[in-house]
Amino acid sequence: MQRTLGIETEYGITVDGPESVDVVAESIALVRSYTQVEPPTQDAAMKWDYDLEDPHQDVRGFRVDELMQDFDEAKYFVQDQNRKLSFQEIKSDLVLSNGARYYNDHAHPEYATPECKTLRDIIAQDKAGERIIEECVRRRNLHSNGGIVKVYKNNTDFVGHSYGCHDNYLMERGIPFDFVIRGLTPFLVTRQIVAGAGKVGIETDERVPFGTYQISQRADFFSVLVSIDTMNRRPIINTRDEPHADSDKYRRLHVIIGDANMSEVAGALKVGMTSLVLDLLERRLCPMQIELADPISALRTISRDHRLKSVALLAGGRTISAIDIQREYLAAAHKHLRGRDEETNWVLAMWEQVLSDLERDPMLCRDRLDWVAKKWLLDAFVEAESVEWDNPWLQSLDLEYHNVRRDEGLYAELMRQKNLQRFVTDDEVRRAIRQPPCDTRAYFRGRCIEKFAKQMSSVQWDEIAFGENDREAVVRLLNVFDEEDVQRYNAAIDNAQDVETLLRNLKE
Amino acid sequence: MADSPVEFPERIHRPTSPAPWERKEGDPGDGPGGSGPRRPDVDAPDTRELLKKMRRVDPNQARRYRQRTGQ
Repeated sequence: MQRTLGIETEYGITVDGPESVDVVAESIALVRSYTQVEPPTQDAAMKWDYDLEDPHQDVRGFRVDELMQDFDEAKYFVQDQNRKLSFQEIKSDLVLSNGARYYNDHAHPEYATPECKTLRDIIAQDKAGERIIEECVRRRNLHSNGGIVKVYKNNTDFVGHSYGCHDNYLMERGIPFDFVIRGLTPFLVTRQIVAGAGKVGIETDERVPFGTYQISQRADFFSVLVSIDTMNRRPIINTRDEPHADSDKYRRLHVIIGDANMSEVAGALKVGMTSLVLDLLERRLCPMQIELADPISALRTISRDHRLKSVALLAGGRTISAIDIQREYLAAAHKHLRGRDEETNWVLAMWEQVLSDLERDPMLCRDRLDWVAKKWLLDAFVEAESVEWDNPWLQSLDLEYHNVRRDEGLYAELMRQKNLQRFVTDDEVRRAIRQPPCDTRAYFRGRCIEKFAKQMSSVQWDEIAFGENDREAVVRLLNVFDEEDVQRYNAAIDNAQDVETLLRNLKE
Repeated sequence: MADSPVEFPERIHRPTSPAPWERKEGDPGDGPGGSGPRRPDVDAPDTRELLKKMRRVDPNQARRYRQRTGQ
C-alpha cells in the first residue's frame, strides 16, 4: 500500500453471573489491568493529551456547535461524576510501546492501531489488539470474584446498541469533498459483501421477520448519507475533520460504516480495497458514473440478501447488483494500479477471486469472509439441531463467533481447525504486541514510550511533549509521513540515550 | 526490547484430523497438469468438533448481553 492507515475498534464487554453489570466500570478495569502487573510494566503510559482533539470540526469547512451525541455524553458525564474518578482515570488512556492507543471509550474498551503503511502491519497490529485484550480478560478473571468477564469484537448487542470499528486513511486535503462523497458512496454501500461480519436479526423498526441473517452488523444503524455525527443518525460518509496531521496538506478519511473483522483476509481486503479506491480518487480516476437512487435503502437491502440476488436502483432508473458495483471499482483499480507493488497485486487478485466466488456460490468464500464463515457455522447448527432461524440460540452463537478468548470463541475454533485462510503469521502478531511498525511515525511514539515514558508529559497521535511547564519541549509529528522524515525520526530515537540527546538529534 | 511482564500464552494445540481440503500425497491439484494447491472442498467440511463447541454455548447469552451505544 502507499498510504498511512489505521483501525480503531470498540469491543463489547459483559460479565457472566451478576444480575446487573456496570459496563463502564468493567471497561475501565479491563483496560487498567494492562498495567497492573508486578513489577510495573514499562510498555505503556497514561498521558493522553485531550486538548488536541476536536470532534466538532467538519471537513466541509465549518465547526458545528454541537453533535447529536453531546446530549448523551453530558448525561453519561453526570452519571460518571458519581464514580469518584477523574476524567483521566475514567478514560484510562494508555499509549503502548507498539504505538497503539488503548482506552475506555463510552463504556467500551477501544484499541486503536498505530499508523501502518502495509496491510501486513495493520492486520498484525489489529490482531495484536485482540491478543492484548484477551490477556486483560485473563487477568480480570484471575482476580474477579463477581462473575466471568467476556469481551467480543463485534458491533451490536442485537437490541439497537451499536459500537464501531472505524478504518482510517490519510489522504490529500486538496480533493474536493463532494468528489469524495460521489466517488465513495457506492463503494462503501457495497463493500459489506466482502467485509461484512454477518448478523442474526434486524435492529430497526421495520416489519421484517425475526431471524433474518444479514451480511453486515452495522447496516441497520445508518440513516443519512453525510454527517459529522457518529453515535446518532450515523452517516455513510463521516465528515469529522481530525487529520492528526498537517491540516493544510492532509485529511483523515474516517470510515465508520465498517464491521469489525475477525477474518484476517476480510480485514486486509477491506482496508486494501478502500485504500486503492482512494488512490483512484486522488488521481481523478475513480468511477463516478454510479449514482445510487437511495444509498441508505440500498445499504439495508444488500445487507439482508445473503444470496446476493438483489439489485440496487440507480438515479437514472437502471438497476445494478452489489457485485457489479464492486466490479466497476475493481476494473478501474486493475487498469491503473496493477503492478505497482506486491500488496496492491494481492488486493486486486483476491478482490477479483472473492467477487467471482460470491457470484458462483457465496459459500465458496467461507474460508475468507466473516459473514460467510458465520453463516456456514449457523447453517450446520440449524441442520444438526433442527432449530428454526428465529431461535435466540443463533444470536448467542453469532455473539460467540466474536469472543476474543481463543479457547472459547467460534472464530478461534474455525482457525484452530484451519478452516480460514491466514494473512499474517502468529509470529507477526506476537511481535506487534510490543513493537511498532518501523516505517511510520508510530515507531517514534512507541520507542519514546519504551525509553522515556517517565519524562513524557503528554502524548497524542501527532505530538509528544517532554518535561513540565516552562521546561516543556514538544516534538511535533504533524508532517512525519514520507520515508525520509520517518527514517530521520527513527534514527533520532534509536540513537538517544536520554531526552536531551533525542531533542538535539532532531534539531540536527 | 526488555522482556515484557505481560504473558501472552500460546493457544493450546490439540491433535486434529487434517482439514478436508489439505493435500494428501498423490492428490491432483487444480493447476495446469494437476499441479498446485487444490480449492477448498467447501461441500464436505468436518463439523463434529464445531457442533460440539456450539452446543456448549449458552442459548441465552445474547439475551443478557446489553451494551451502551458507542460510535
